[in-house]
Amino acid sequence: MDLFYLSVATEIVLVAGAVLVLMVDVFKAPSAKVHASIAGATLVTAVGLTIWQWDRVVDVGPSSGFAGMVQLDRPAVIVKFILVGVAAMGLAAAWEMMVSLGPRLAEGLSLVFVATAGFMMMGSGANLIMIFLALEIGSIALYVLAGIARESSTADEAALKYFLLGAFASAIFVYGIALVFASTGRLDVYEIGAFLGANIVLKPAVLLIGISLIIVGLAFKVTAAPFHSWAPDVYQGAPAGIVGFMAAAAKVGGFAAMVRILNVAFARYEFAWSGGLGALAAFSVVLGTLFAIQQSDFRRLLAYSGVAHAGFILTGVAAGVDGLPGVWFYLATYVAMLIGSFTIAALMGSPTGSGLSISAFAGFGKRSPVLAGSLAVFMFGMSGLPLTSGFVGKFSVFTQAWIAGFEWLVVVGLLASVAGFFFYLKLIVTMYFEAPVLAEAPGTATLKPEPSFVVKVVLAFAVLVTLVLGAFPSLLLDFVADALPF
Amino acid sequence: MVELILFVVLSTVVIGGALSMILGRNPVYAAMGMLATLFGLAVIYVIQLAHFVAVVQVIVYAGAVMTLFLFVIMFIGVDKAQSLDEGLAWQRPAVLGVVAAILAMVGGLVLSGRWEWITADRVALSGQVIEIPVPPNGTIESIGESLINRWLLPFEATAVLLIIASVGAIVLAFYRPRRLQSVGDDAE
Repeated sequence: MDLFYLSVATEIVLVAGAVLVLMVDVFKAPSAKVHASIAGATLVTAVGLTIWQWDRVVDVGPSSGFAGMVQLDRPAVIVKFILVGVAAMGLAAAWEMMVSLGPRLAEGLSLVFVATAGFMMMGSGANLIMIFLALEIGSIALYVLAGIARESSTADEAALKYFLLGAFASAIFVYGIALVFASTGRLDVYEIGAFLGANIVLKPAVLLIGISLIIVGLAFKVTAAPFHSWAPDVYQGAPAGIVGFMAAAAKVGGFAAMVRILNVAFARYEFAWSGGLGALAAFSVVLGTLFAIQQSDFRRLLAYSGVAHAGFILTGVAAGVDGLPGVWFYLATYVAMLIGSFTIAALMGSPTGSGLSISAFAGFGKRSPVLAGSLAVFMFGMSGLPLTSGFVGKFSVFTQAWIAGFEWLVVVGLLASVAGFFFYLKLIVTMYFEAPVLAEAPGTATLKPEPSFVVKVVLAFAVLVTLVLGAFPSLLLDFVADALPF
Repeated sequence: MVELILFVVLSTVVIGGALSMILGRNPVYAAMGMLATLFGLAVIYVIQLAHFVAVVQVIVYAGAVMTLFLFVIMFIGVDKAQSLDEGLAWQRPAVLGVVAAILAMVGGLVLSGRWEWITADRVALSGQVIEIPVPPNGTIESIGESLINRWLLPFEATAVLLIIASVGAIVLAFYRPRRLQSVGDDAE
């Protein structure tokens, strides 16, 4: 029994920060500034510990902790880096909304921290029970965050939908774990891999059903079609400020767990799951793109484009171990663009409000050129235009998928990317070339939003990530090159 | 021999409790009958060396769940005359159908010579003698040991899960929309 605290240090700090915020709130009822400083200190400590973990992994190599429950290796630390960034950007973007919640600020903060810790655990968990608990910790926090603004009935609806469908997906995931346990007698991801590597399962039906149920459960979390149906309603109804965090964190955690489980535990069965993932990817890409084209609401558009992006990332996952650097690069850069876009959506509507018509963006380019410019950068990045990080991400997952023999999937993905230009560019055209609609209903959209300083920092960071990593992708690609879960 | 005597006595308690629960007219008596069943089962678990399950049985089922049942019964009122009309007309036929289906399945297994599927007789299953594995040690000590050693991190993660669930419940339930509050004030 090894109490290897460094392997879960970031999670411990985040949970401690969440508890501290709650305790301070009970005994002192402090101002928002005190909460902000606690949150800032927690995040800075978390970043420091993650750098320490990276050093240790580079020096010593991968190591496991807590009787094999968690694995501290490059993918785990990269997921922690991405998620700390997601939490920091999401909190900064949502800060105005959180403060407007009044006494619920402390609970909101602790929910964000615990959700981040949960999804980090999904990235480092090396035991199916551990991964399931981590998934539930993260998901339950997100269900509550979706409904934290009880003032709006759409938020209530979003939270309830998210909860019911999410609970169903979790049940499917557990069922998959149970079937895998039934056929291998093991729960440790690495032990399952060793067992399946050394033994031949003569009647693998139970095992294969278990694998596919695990994939289905995780595909729900990453909004891959056809398990995406909750996403548009939740992204549209949940409080605008926090949606970016919710969408990004769940995607990162879901893909991290999927990558480790499939490539470590079921490496022997790659011939079986890679085809299934390929089909899932193709379906997500096509369906996400086609539905996104029809949307008239900006947040639904982002939700369906998220489905398409989940498909692109799945293309890399289907390529097996070689596709992983591309997957990490894609995830890291996509979440930056996603949070950036939702931040602007939150600025355009009321902070706790829901829904944002695309027509509200008419004339946005003239009214607030800086905001419109950064939104245009995110849209170009998501569409995969060269010189943006989105292009590099798509290029690397497509290359590896092609090498792995998924030529048809690459063709489908390329066609969908081209079709995707339509709705990303439509928004840019609306912003710059359409006259503003003057008779806007009051309260639906702020015509000329004034972002606060932290929001400006978040947007500047997201724009920088998109452009700099697009021009010099090796900065991040070298970093994730060896991030394989072994 | 001791085991047999204990088993007969306890089975009587368990079955008697179950019968009195179904047949009792007074809901409180029915609840007490169920309590007897649960306690009897707990002692049977102890005989099987499953101390932990026995304790959980007493604390969770006999303690918490039965208290909840009694609360509900008291809350609704014991004195209320019970209507014996069956709300669902097809309930009895449906139950009979299910019972018949289960009996038919068991009968089919026996007739097809697969009785061992039901009794899980390992010798009969494979046709040769397999050494029966050591039964799992269900004492509190061994469960506690594995909970705090191998499963320490999931154990702690469950604590986090419970914290976040209660925080979420407070956030969602405690803050009522102002609109509803003002309506309530007006009514007063």
